[in-house]
Amino acid sequence: MNLPTSFPPRIEETPVLAQLIQDPAKAVNAIARAKPPELDEYGQLPKLASTFDHVDGLFYFTYAVCIFFFVLILGVLLFSVVKYRRKTFDQPAASNSTHNTPLEVVWTVIPLIIVMIMFAWGFKGCLDMTTVPQAASQNTYKATAAQWNWTFTYPNHPEKSRGEVWLEVNKPVQFLLESEDVLHAFYIPSMRVKRDVIPGRFQTVWFTPTQLGDYHLFCAEYCGDSHSLMYAQVHVVTAEEFAKAPWYTFDDSTPAKAAASGESIYKGQCSACHSVNGVAGAAPSWAGDKGLFKKDGDKVVGRERQVVENGATKTVVADEAYIRESIRMPLAKLVADYATKANMNAFGPDKLSDRELNAVIEYMKTLAK
Amino acid sequence: MTTHAPVLDAHKSHSEKPKHYLNCSSGFWSWASTLDHKRIGLMYLIGTGLAFLAGGLFALLVRLHLWQPDGMLFSNDQYNQIFTLHGAFMVFLFVIPAIPGSLGNIVLPLMLGAKDVALPRLNLLSFYLWLSGAVLAALAIVMGGFDTGWTFYAPYSLYTNKAVVTIGLAIFMLGFSSIFTGLNFIVTTHKLRAPGLTWFRMPLFVWALYATSLLQVLATPVLGITILLVAFERLYNIGIFDPRLGGDPVLFEHFFWFYSHPAVYIMVLPAFGIISELVTVHSRKPLFGYKLIAFSSLAIAIISFLVWGHHMFTSGQSTYAMFAFSFLTFFVAIPTAIKEFSWVATIWKGSIALNSPMLYTLAFLIIFAIGGLTGVILGSLNVDLHLHDTYFVVAHFHYVMMGSIALAFFAGLHHWWPKMFGVMYNETLAKIACLVIFVGFNATFIPQFIMGSQGMPRRYATYVPEFQPYHSASTIGAMILGSGVALMVFYLVASLLTGKKAMQNQWGGVTLDWMSPTPPPLENFAHTPKVTTEVYDYSTLDLKSTQTPIG
Ligand code: HEC
Ligand SMILES: [Cu+2]
Ligand SMILES: [Cu+2]
Repeated sequence: MNLPTSFPPRIEETPVLAQLIQDPAKAVNAIARAKPPELDEYGQLPKLASTFDHVDGLFYFTYAVCIFFFVLILGVLLFSVVKYRRKTFDQPAASNSTHNTPLEVVWTVIPLIIVMIMFAWGFKGCLDMTTVPQAASQNTYKATAAQWNWTFTYPNHPEKSRGEVWLEVNKPVQFLLESEDVLHAFYIPSMRVKRDVIPGRFQTVWFTPTQLGDYHLFCAEYCGDSHSLMYAQVHVVTAEEFAKAPWYTFDDSTPAKAAASGESIYKGQCSACHSVNGVAGAAPSWAGDKGLFKKDGDKVVGRERQVVENGATKTVVADEAYIRESIRMPLAKLVADYATKANMNAFGPDKLSDRELNAVIEYMKTLAK
Repeated sequence: MTTHAPVLDAHKSHSEKPKHYLNCSSGFWSWASTLDHKRIGLMYLIGTGLAFLAGGLFALLVRLHLWQPDGMLFSNDQYNQIFTLHGAFMVFLFVIPAIPGSLGNIVLPLMLGAKDVALPRLNLLSFYLWLSGAVLAALAIVMGGFDTGWTFYAPYSLYTNKAVVTIGLAIFMLGFSSIFTGLNFIVTTHKLRAPGLTWFRMPLFVWALYATSLLQVLATPVLGITILLVAFERLYNIGIFDPRLGGDPVLFEHFFWFYSHPAVYIMVLPAFGIISELVTVHSRKPLFGYKLIAFSSLAIAIISFLVWGHHMFTSGQSTYAMFAFSFLTFFVAIPTAIKEFSWVATIWKGSIALNSPMLYTLAFLIIFAIGGLTGVILGSLNVDLHLHDTYFVVAHFHYVMMGSIALAFFAGLHHWWPKMFGVMYNETLAKIACLVIFVGFNATFIPQFIMGSQGMPRRYATYVPEFQPYHSASTIGAMILGSGVALMVFYLVASLLTGKKAMQNQWGGVTLDWMSPTPPPLENFAHTPKVTTEVYDYSTLDLKSTQTPIG
């Protein structure tokens, strides 16, 4: 049986007053977010950045119909309440009618016609969104969802990108969606597309980005602890820009550049669980008193930590070998505080090459204090 | 044995006063083993009321946490547990059982002119199953909590290391409680109608409960089986829903919504029944389109079995399935619209008493209009692909579940309170509370519509900073709403201790529930009543009984 470690809330995680006055601008974790999307002219939807204008059309049509009926109902109610209010206890009703066939036919048939228009309009739009045109299927990306990050594979380029994806403007694109663990959903509000990502089967979604800019990509299906941090940025760029493959930035020619590349890998793949500010969450933090490395004079050395190996607790030093093992084979030694919780999935060489792993370690070292 | 029912002492009448169901016997055991439908209804009222307050507390915690983008109070994991608790408590322990269990139990036999429900022992068993479910749900919190959302979507619910099996068992029991209540009401309606009470003379609350009962009996077993399968899957890795073992997570969604869409109507039909009842009594005018309302309840009950797929438009179902599900979903809009229009038409040219039950009813009519109309926005396939799983959906179903169903429940509670206890609450406080609840409710959920259409996904412990103004506004609204509810609980409880005596027929109802003495005696009527007039015929109303306090 799992005794509650997290409910009721732990005191040290509840700095209520300190945070009440916190500046929202610097809030929300290490993830880099796109700028807020502009709103459209009615201020209800984010400005449309794809060709699916029928979504907005039908949304506003329905909206207008709703407002009409709402005002009608509200008006009749208010009028009646004012006009026919009971003033003496024995006041009878002003009318006892219980039927009015023409009226009843009208209020059945008119809504029926209206909803059938909506149905046909919506279905037509849906066909558009689910019928992948050939141009899009020739430009197929793969989006891999895993708790709690997104990895993107491009049609004609060997390098993947994580937490960010680049698209060419005005070029129809299809995403093949795959999940490594539980349900997720691929949602780009500005493009009006959403599709569940289901483990064990491929789903597809397509659209044509028509506006340059950066957009939010959210996970819209609850997937556990850091569901709300499962975020990616969508960059829509010109063809020239796209040809430069901006996602391919990995560079380990100097230790500093390696650390910078390591940081971007961290942001794409590790930041949903590991923090770098010393506060432990779904996973141990890489910094702080329980972090990985510490400064010893001008040297950077691993800190000691308690781990559980084959059921026995022991103390090890977090050196590079230990860290490599923690990433390649996480179950070999579990950090003692986490031994009974959900673990990390292994990152094999297919997900994190040796050079990338070294870059991440280089980045971890820069966190030492 | 000491008495556990303060209500009893408050009304301990002199020995010559007539005995009623509250004071005819006393002591813990006389309640715990009671077969009286009114006492069982009262126990349901207390139980579901407490569950509502607990669920409401979780809701306030959720809203407080979301005051700022990176969350104010909890870790992500704690937040996920709390929103799950909020949903599960509200749906399974409150919204589904509350109206049939409490008001339905108390009022249905009275309205039929019956001495009790047809199967009183089964009725008590339903209550105890509910209670065991509630206790197990509370245990599950202690045994590690649960963080799956109230929907238990596989495979996450199979992998998480929380107390999913325990809460599953709780829901299984609650399901049986609901099935038994449904069975009981069906039999009671068929067998125990007073002489002269033909089907089309039955009050609409009875019709609504009847349609609800059909749904409970037919749909709930599917939920029970689904939850059992999840438990087996977790314990023995069978491979039904788990893709790693060759199972199919989408199958779970189909099973789940095959129950949970009809469940929406299990929850909302009784609310419709209450509102139908209240608009006529407080407008003192026969219901407009009685038969249409009765048939629309049945129509909704039947169609509701065929629209579950509208919860899964993004799951990649075939276009044919989408076509059918969307079409039928729009179709449900029609009987629902007919109901709303008929209620408004009943009020039109009525003799409208603006007392607190009527204010709650008017609040319902406005909020339900918004809830229903925004449902139409979601029914369109292409628009739903954008709005699905955002706060727009959250706001929509709260307009239906909290704004409409809970408000109808409050309306009914205020309406039958004098009947149940023979006392009146403070009307001024009641009107203030209704206003506060109405304002707070809209302040909570209108911002959620806006941020939802802008793309704010639901079940997020943290969010992108641009949504903060809406979240903060929503949090303030929730606090207002919470204080309105607190005020309501206060004056209702206070009325039991200090309330004025109610009138014999407080609101001037003409259905049989108002023909029995107030509060009703153990077997409701001294003589079995005979029904000779049509339903809601206010020319038969004895106005004196609305002005004479009980004896
Ligand atoms: C799904 C959440 C999750 C993700 C994503 C994740 N980790 Fe972990 N990680 C954990 C958990 C939980 C532990 C503690 C249990 C253990 O030792 O395996 C852990 C432990 C570690 C440790 C040992 C930490 C210590 O304090 O001794 C290292 C190193 C590590 N992870 C590296 C990474 C790297 C590098 C990435 C990104 C490429 C990553 N993790 C992504 C959950 C995650
Ligand atoms: Cu998610
Ligand atoms: Cu539904």
